[in-house]
Amino acid sequence: MGTVRLARMAMACRFELVLQGEDELRLRAAGEEALREIERLETRLSRFLPVSDVSRINTHASEEAVPVERWLFDLLKQSLDLHRCTDGAFDLTIGPLMKVWGFYGDGGRVPDADELAQARLRTGMHLVELDEAHCTVRFAHKGVALDFGAIGKGYAVDEAIRILREAGVERAFLHGGTSTMYGIGQPLDADSWNVAVVDPRAPDEPVAVVAIRDEALSVSAVSGKSFEVEGTCYGHVLDPRLGKPVRGALLAATVTSSATTADAVSTALLVHARPLPEYRSLVIQPDDEGPLPHRILHHGIPLCDTSKKTPAPPPAPVLNGHATTWQQHPA
Amino acid sequence: MKDHTYGGLLSRRNFLKRSSLIPLSGLLAQAPAIGADARRATFQEQVQAAIIGFGPQGRDIAATLTRIPEVDLAAVVDTYNVMLRRAQRSAPGAATFEDYREVLDNPDISTVFIATPTHLHKQIALDALSAGKHVYVEAPMASNIDDARVMAQAARDNPNLIFQVGLHARSHPNYRSVFQFIRSGALGKATMTRSQWHTKESWRRASPNREREIALNWRLDAGVSTGLIGEVGTHQLDPALWFLSKRPAAVTGLGQIMLWNDGRQVPDTIQAVFELEDGGVPMLYDATLTSSFDAAYDTYSGRDSTIMFRDHRAWMFKEVDAPLLGWEVYARKDKFYKETGIALVANATQLDAQDISPTEDDPNLETPLWYAIRDFIDNHAFGPYPPAASYEVGFQMAVITIKANEAILQGTRIEYDDALFEI
Repeated sequence: MGTVRLARMAMACRFELVLQGEDELRLRAAGEEALREIERLETRLSRFLPVSDVSRINTHASEEAVPVERWLFDLLKQSLDLHRCTDGAFDLTIGPLMKVWGFYGDGGRVPDADELAQARLRTGMHLVELDEAHCTVRFAHKGVALDFGAIGKGYAVDEAIRILREAGVERAFLHGGTSTMYGIGQPLDADSWNVAVVDPRAPDEPVAVVAIRDEALSVSAVSGKSFEVEGTCYGHVLDPRLGKPVRGALLAATVTSSATTADAVSTALLVHARPLPEYRSLVIQPDDEGPLPHRILHHGIPLCDTSKKTPAPPPAPVLNGHATTWQQHPA
Repeated sequence: MKDHTYGGLLSRRNFLKRSSLIPLSGLLAQAPAIGADARRATFQEQVQAAIIGFGPQGRDIAATLTRIPEVDLAAVVDTYNVMLRRAQRSAPGAATFEDYREVLDNPDISTVFIATPTHLHKQIALDALSAGKHVYVEAPMASNIDDARVMAQAARDNPNLIFQVGLHARSHPNYRSVFQFIRSGALGKATMTRSQWHTKESWRRASPNREREIALNWRLDAGVSTGLIGEVGTHQLDPALWFLSKRPAAVTGLGQIMLWNDGRQVPDTIQAVFELEDGGVPMLYDATLTSSFDAAYDTYSGRDSTIMFRDHRAWMFKEVDAPLLGWEVYARKDKFYKETGIALVANATQLDAQDISPTEDDPNLETPLWYAIRDFIDNHAFGPYPPAASYEVGFQMAVITIKANEAILQGTRIEYDDALFEI
């Protein structure tokens, strides 16, 4: 039994894949195909590539119904469902808001009231018209723009996992930027792929160790891309209903059977700033009254017992991301 | 039964009668420039098409067809059920088959896209032409010269059927634009070309079924694979030879297994030097599966400037002593380390007419495959006329790369006898 590790840059982050099994040649081949699929999906879902499907939709859908492939139509439908399930906290049409807040550039800025109002008029899934019979998408008016930033990575992970399963892979762990991940089966030396979720302001102490086995985990955090104006920090996660950066939560995590759903829901949890009863989840709220610990709300994800010292993780693999450290803890 | 050779579609003669404003030369050279409305008006019914082979390239063809409304993807063929499941997710309206003869027997299907492993192209293409289907076949055309020649002969013998080879650059507006630019003397005296394709991956495929896995790994089977120079280099060498309008007289090759020493016989790292006829411009090509550094690009160098293609975009790098062209003062410039590239944008005047700055990306830009298929489908309405990537072009490239692969495997120099190029 051997272990193969692969990595690829895509969707503005590093995807890493660990595969375990008997035939390392086959594991590598399967892993490479899975990572190529992620790269392929980036070319379809990126709003920055002029020939992507999303760019084509954003350019033309206000003028005419744009035909799309069935998988993309299904992803749009799923996004609409997730929008409803999360009471509008997850929203694909957040593009105009992201733009006026300057998050598509290098920094960020606070938009004036008029700009914000205009962007809010162009935000909302009710502006996206899906025609099932013709497999087309159309916008209700000009200026609407889709942004798959809160779901594309999860979808890519799911599709890569599908390819690994088709190739017969029985033990694998894949993550994109340490924020969205999936574990197939279990690792050779443990009952599950165990992932430490850390408080972004106290990265040395995990608040929970999530055991994953044929499941996805997604972690979203307001840290990472942000800017500061007059002492106020504005993070890149926006509440699509208010048009403003979320303030009520620092980090949210959720576990589901689908990485696509997990990716979208973890963003929605940040917006709601509390767990949703339908999902195994965890939310860290800021505590303005004092330093650590922050207030942690959780549902279906047990927290670490902070009175006991967390076992030291093995030296590898350890992946450091903006929100999560992935470690193979003893089960 | 519908006559899909011309059935329901305008013949070329009728099209020319109705389109007196478009000269024939313009039609042949610039089919993609015809406006979408005019194009749709000539298609009285959708072209019913099938894709044979639903690997990565077949999937891309299916995705591209969703953006060409004149085509209905009626069927997908693959011998591997995993690929057929993927086809159903991509195009659930398409029927799926394991045997390509089922689509050839279907009179409603007029057109087939062949995207199988290279060594399987020949029989499918011959059967498709015999069945009266228009054929789009991926490049390289075949894995050996005999197969390629038989295919070219069959295409030649069926002038009423369209036979286009998947050499995408021939249809891409950026390449067509640069072709005109180079032919107008922008390089000065052409002196050399250089192309590279670098990636880091094993080129191996996996399946839980051992027999299937062997079939999937045809690229690593020296008995049928055309190697890196055939499977990848074809697409880079073709535009270079097109721009230079020359044929190679000889090739010297070198190939080694530098990293993936897993029992394969197909080199993971290759170099080839082509000597063009009449002592012309030398062409250098290298490819590797061991390092992704600097990825893929092509340069065409001359006395006055070098033109670089990267990701199907072009830049010109001028020598300091080159004559001033005038327009470059206004063009977009991009930095490449210490060099400054002048962006060469196709259709700049059209963009300007649409109030789009020529320094911005064209919002209507499409993928290279889209332009190739667009050309192919336009030919259904306005042709048949010889496609830019015709059987002659495809055959010539097959000969060039198959012999180059031989040179690489043998580590030797091989001359291209004129007889090799006879169809």
